[in-house]
Amino acid sequence: MTLPVADTRYLFFTGKGGVGKTSLSCATGLALAEAGKKVLIVSTDPASNLDEVLGADLAAAPTPIPNAPGLFALNIDPEAAAHAYKERMVGPYRGVLPAAAIASMEEQFSGACTVEIAAFDEFAKLLGDPNATGDFDHVIFDTAPTGHTLRLLTLPSAWTDFIASSTGGASCLGPLAGLEKQKALYAATVAQLSNPSTTTVILVGRPERSALREAERTRKELVDLGVTNLRLALNGIFTALRPGDPVADAMTARGRNAQLDMPKALADLPRTATPFVPAGTVGLDALRALSSDRPTAPLPVAAANTAANMPGGLDPLIDQIAAAGHGVVMTLGKGGVGKTTIAAAIAVSLARGGHRVVLSTTDPAAHVAAAVEESVPGLTITRIDPEREVANYRDEVLAKAGKNLDAAGRAMLEEDLRSPCTEEIAVFRAFARTVEDGKDQFVVLDTAPTGHTILLLDAAESYHREVMRTQADMPEAVRKLLPRLRDPDFTKALIVTLPEATPVHEAERLQRDLARAGIEPFAWVVNQSLLASGTEDPLLVQRGQYEIPFIDRVFADLSPRTAVIPWRTAMDG
Amino acid sequence: MMKLEVYDPAMCCSTGVCGPEVDPALVRFAADLQWLAEQSVTVQRYNLSQEPQAFAANPAIVKEMEAGMDRLPIIVLDGRIVSTGVYLSRDQLARKLGLGSTEAAKPAGSCCSSKSGCCS
Repeated sequence: MTLPVADTRYLFFTGKGGVGKTSLSCATGLALAEAGKKVLIVSTDPASNLDEVLGADLAAAPTPIPNAPGLFALNIDPEAAAHAYKERMVGPYRGVLPAAAIASMEEQFSGACTVEIAAFDEFAKLLGDPNATGDFDHVIFDTAPTGHTLRLLTLPSAWTDFIASSTGGASCLGPLAGLEKQKALYAATVAQLSNPSTTTVILVGRPERSALREAERTRKELVDLGVTNLRLALNGIFTALRPGDPVADAMTARGRNAQLDMPKALADLPRTATPFVPAGTVGLDALRALSSDRPTAPLPVAAANTAANMPGGLDPLIDQIAAAGHGVVMTLGKGGVGKTTIAAAIAVSLARGGHRVVLSTTDPAAHVAAAVEESVPGLTITRIDPEREVANYRDEVLAKAGKNLDAAGRAMLEEDLRSPCTEEIAVFRAFARTVEDGKDQFVVLDTAPTGHTILLLDAAESYHREVMRTQADMPEAVRKLLPRLRDPDFTKALIVTLPEATPVHEAERLQRDLARAGIEPFAWVVNQSLLASGTEDPLLVQRGQYEIPFIDRVFADLSPRTAVIPWRTAMDG
Repeated sequence: MMKLEVYDPAMCCSTGVCGPEVDPALVRFAADLQWLAEQSVTVQRYNLSQEPQAFAANPAIVKEMEAGMDRLPIIVLDGRIVSTGVYLSRDQLARKLGLGSTEAAKPAGSCCSSKSGCCS
């Protein structure tokens, strides 16, 4: 087992939440420090647990790590940075402008784009300014800017007066219009990122098919942007110590198959592999174990350990949902937590109970859906294809708005249309159409808009209604959507997460975001629990023990109702 | 030279890309302002979320917002509010400004290519 080779000054780790970016950043940084280098680790992940992993209280300036001479770390929360920016912009007008004006300004600074750009602003301070990190031999970032941010910042039109021009610009940069002053700094940052002699970008993925597909998408996007010094780090390689345990055998096979089927361009990258770590990588010893060639030895565990109140499966939740007789069920969560599987299980169960059910899925493979389609009477399956929705939306916007723009303006508009917000809005429109069907049957969706999108669209909708004095462009389904989503009798929102640190953090943020839009989740579903799986493999039993505090926390502090689903092989699309 | 100011509600973009439907009225209005600028009218547009200082600095605007956020957008001509809660059409704008017939000016988008200048 090996850590990624660090032969450049800057290293970026990128990948979905929970794949082990922070663990690998820290293990790599520690190994370099122990080889005599001076190393700075930087986290800009809002769900970061860098403090915990390194056992130090971190701040926004480099802090020495105890017992690791030469190793320093700093923690920047881009949400906090975005919040600080919002306060700088809005604060001076509290008490000056009416409260309603303040509220509408604040929402504009609460979107994904603002956080993304704020995070980039923090990267830029460290990467674009040689003096900021001059003392260090290596600077390691546990997150990387998204392709959208990089493209946006490399567009010449982003830096023209288009943003501030009298006709007003579309733009994700809009909320941060003040950043024009940073132009030189940002240009230097983007140049650093694509310079192979100074920067390496490491794609981190678990040996799972869906995770590797995601890594391939990122690889392609980075190559298109001219970022070519890429490596692949497979994290969490698991091999059953002894064959015979069905869960352990299935997990071993899944990892092996995913590696065999890896997209070719991804497989061609220089690659390293690090082992499955049952108890999380907290502390320096655990980090050293990541690069060790010895197989991880399971610790003895008291067999009786279990969660304080081990929640049951989905059935009690489904009974409560069924009692309403109709309505909308939506599963929410970050990619890879199993939203589609949970949605399908609920839909099938409701249909078997004699209800009419529409299962609406964005899962491109939709193999779960295909499998249940023929066998369950009363169940219909519809698909929302995000790519097609986005393409339709993009064409519509360019046809309506693009024709009045010059080349620079149109380039900006096109880039905005590639933002994560746009995909949300496009999928949202399909979502709104589907929710309408929940009036007289059950509709189960494996996708949902974020609270921010809902609020923006709500604002846009009331704006249309009150200001434009027209409802012509606003479908009925969209106008009724927010009241329906807020009605707990009509809509049951289920937050899906995994029993691990980062996914639970991310789910908490999702819950807060929904709360801003006035939506309270019906329940949380903790998916893929090894604790609940019945495995007797020693490493996996130990992993199950590691899940306990997370399950307890969801049950006790976060959720009105909780279901825990055992780990199953079918989870990996 | 006449000065026209527009106080927009908080929008993350003035094209409506962020809304559930692209708003042709907003796109049309942007083009109309461009047209006015070509008629030697100084046009200034303020977005509440990006230029709040312009709102705060104008007591008449603050007063309107206190009466209701639906008073936005507010259109001000030479310091005098000429409309609230609506994006005026090109004809209405021309009348308020005392400009002649708008017949000569075809709607943006049909009169020229984007490169020729009148639409850009």
